Amino acid sequence: MSMGSHFKGVGVLEHLKQARKKGYLASSEPHGIEAMGHLMGGADAAREVAIASFLLTILFLNLPISLNLSYSLISLFLSGLFFWKVGRSASLGWSRLERINKLIEDEKEEIETNRSEEKEELTEIYEAKGFSEPLLSKVIDVLMADDNKLLGIMLEEELGVSLESNEHPLKQALGTAIGFLLASCAIFASVLLFQLKGIFISAFFIIMIASAYMANIQKIRILHQTVWNLSITFLAGASTYFLCKFFVSL
Amino acid sequence: MKTVSPYALEEYFSSGYEESHNPFITKDSRKWGKHVALAGSIVAFLFLILAYATKNISFPLSSFFLVFVYFLAGTPSLIRTLEDIFVWNINIQVLMTLAALLSVLIGGELEGGLLLVLFSLSEALEESVTQKTKGALNALHKLSPMSAYVISSDGSLYPKSVREIELGTKILVKAGEIIPLDGKVIDGSSYINLSHLTGESIPVSKRIGDDVPAGALNMDGSLSIEVTKTSAESTLSKIIRLITEASESKPRLEKILARFSRQYATTIILLSLFFGLVLPIIFSEMPYIGTEGSIYRALAFLIAASPCALIIATPTAYLSAISVCAKKGILLKGGVVLDALAKCKILAFDKTGTLTTGNLTCLKTEMIGNDLSDEEAISVASGLERSAHHPIANAIIAYAKAKNIKQKELNDIKVISGKGVEGYINGNKALIGSSEFILSNLSSEHHKNEIAEKLSYSGHVVTLLLYKESVFIFHFSDEIRPHLKKTIGKLQEKLRVVMLTGDHTENANFVGEAIGLKEVFAGLSPEDKLHKIRDLSKIKPLMMIGDGINDGPALAQANVGIAMGQVGSSTAIEAADVVLLRDDLANIEWLYKKSIQTLSIVKQNVIFALLIILCATTLSLLGVIPLWLAVILHEGSTVLVGCNSLRLFLR
Repeated sequence: MSMGSHFKGVGVLEHLKQARKKGYLASSEPHGIEAMGHLMGGADAAREVAIASFLLTILFLNLPISLNLSYSLISLFLSGLFFWKVGRSASLGWSRLERINKLIEDEKEEIETNRSEEKEELTEIYEAKGFSEPLLSKVIDVLMADDNKLLGIMLEEELGVSLESNEHPLKQALGTAIGFLLASCAIFASVLLFQLKGIFISAFFIIMIASAYMANIQKIRILHQTVWNLSITFLAGASTYFLCKFFVSL
Repeated sequence: MKTVSPYALEEYFSSGYEESHNPFITKDSRKWGKHVALAGSIVAFLFLILAYATKNISFPLSSFFLVFVYFLAGTPSLIRTLEDIFVWNINIQVLMTLAALLSVLIGGELEGGLLLVLFSLSEALEESVTQKTKGALNALHKLSPMSAYVISSDGSLYPKSVREIELGTKILVKAGEIIPLDGKVIDGSSYINLSHLTGESIPVSKRIGDDVPAGALNMDGSLSIEVTKTSAESTLSKIIRLITEASESKPRLEKILARFSRQYATTIILLSLFFGLVLPIIFSEMPYIGTEGSIYRALAFLIAASPCALIIATPTAYLSAISVCAKKGILLKGGVVLDALAKCKILAFDKTGTLTTGNLTCLKTEMIGNDLSDEEAISVASGLERSAHHPIANAIIAYAKAKNIKQKELNDIKVISGKGVEGYINGNKALIGSSEFILSNLSSEHHKNEIAEKLSYSGHVVTLLLYKESVFIFHFSDEIRPHLKKTIGKLQEKLRVVMLTGDHTENANFVGEAIGLKEVFAGLSPEDKLHKIRDLSKIKPLMMIGDGINDGPALAQANVGIAMGQVGSSTAIEAADVVLLRDDLANIEWLYKKSIQTLSIVKQNVIFALLIILCATTLSLLGVIPLWLAVILHEGSTVLVGCNSLRLFLR
């Protein structure tokens, strides 16, 4: 096994592991928990509107301020949050695309300059997949024959970056905006019906529905995810409430 | 470079997706996944103490701490409760969660938190106990290779999954590898170690025509094997199946308890609804039963009926007993074991590794021919065996040392795989090894007949030395554990004690007589042992003590399985209910007494808890006692039950 400068002193398999980690980081959102896609963006935004309104309401209920001022402050905060969430969603999408572009450029350069190491990596990958000689050499030769094909394969196999798996950042941002606005409307409607208590009711349902929906998209346990999300909301809200009461009483 | 074990994913699946086995998590951080539920319950308990401590100082601060109790102990309970409700399984879990959450409505937040913490603690302990069967299967999976090297028609080798290997396929097993499938040796010879399968640590010689079992370790030579059983039918798979079946046949009692809990919970919930909603409609004008305070009384009834004392009645007693046992070097896998142990009337011992240490001692020597003195024979034998490490070699070297006989210097020492060792002294050839090996090198027919006659009535393990046409027979026996006679004598006063072993009858009887054990069942295969255990269990409850992997099914089948920790195979330890960490059999008598005491305290606790629940529910429902008194009765009974359990710990 070669330990050349291309592999930076590690074996081919360890290099592949590191490369895949790099690819995974490039295709995920390292600065946030927002998952990719307009639907996930929308559900995540709706959940954040709900938790923000919920916590602010708890806070304002315990402070000596009027109801109208509370409504105004919550509305102002939510309008600021809207631009932050939508802008951040688009920005995260573009950052991800830029990171992938950088990866493609690096990989392209490696194919052009370090062909033998790339061949070695490819051989290790296909050997791990169960190919053995003489078929292995034939497969590698076919793959190495076309540089464009090789680049696509190296991106998928070495870096774990799949083609056609990302949405355009603007579409993702639009999904986030719609999710945010729908949740805000639901909160507004419930305030009209039940006043401040309406925020608690709507926040509960928004978080429940958004969590269940996100769990469903990710094909994970819906009940589990929903109850944990609601419990965390309860923890955040109740601890804010009692801490606020405690400090006010001092 | 870090490599992931090929068994990592299989282990992960068989562990039931345990985080501590998750191969996608780095090895260093997997420890964070161990006992998460238990750690969460303990942290919740600490928050509960803080909530109680600050109750009279600041209500908001106390409530702040209580929020964490509900979050940590309540969320998992709530999830399980909702899952149960969705499949219409109304059990004590549902009742407890409902009572705890509803208690908030009538100002009993702290009591509700206490209910949740106690319940989550008992659940977490139960969860860690149920890991043992999964652990046993993990140990077996580690032992069972997933692929084998198949010898193709042109002689080349290629790996193939054992699941796809058909009968009659030829496979190669190199030295140091585990035999992947049952088969017949078609080429090569070697010693194989069956210690994981049979508990016997003596290497067995295998040559062309011999059968070899899957799971055995090939020690020195390469073996070509023709597969005689597929992966599904192999000895190892059979043992895995036996352990699974035996373990699964246990939880009948648990099922009965679950059914009882379902009826109890459903009844209490329905009664609460009845007292809270229906009764006031029927008897709206009657005092105590009318609409006034009916919901409040129904909730008080629900809380009083929550079996808090009943739930801690058993775990605290068992935990105390478990702690005392741990100090004595006895590891109990769950408190229920003590229940079963107290009922046992028969004690079955495995021999090798349990009554004996698994090491060999040279009992006696016999000479065939006249050209050799005892001293010279022992000197040559220990010289030949000086570089070997198996128990026979160790026994010969120890025997020579005990007799102050120096090792002879030999030249050209050569190990003949699966047969023995040869060497030269001044041009004279010396051979040591199995009887077949020595007889095939012996020219004198007279000596051959004499040896065959002597071996036919020897029940011991033997090895033969051939030097200068004289044959020297070494007889070996298992080393019996010290002070065993006294222990067995004491145990036989209270229990029927039997020995079950796969060893020869003569050797088993020799050990039995030496320790004063009268009932000996010898020559039993793992399946025979299992049948014997089943037969004996039908007469009276039985505890079994063993160490080998072959004891795994028997240990799991016995009412109580006890494994010897220091010498035992990991599978025996995992399949057993009790592990003797110090391998001190004198602890068995002490443990038996402790189990009877524990059972008695558990009974006292349960009766007391039930009586209190009965009184508190009736009185609170009738409005005879206020809620605070009902809560004090409820919590007081919990404390008293706990203190009663502590008696076990103090003694």
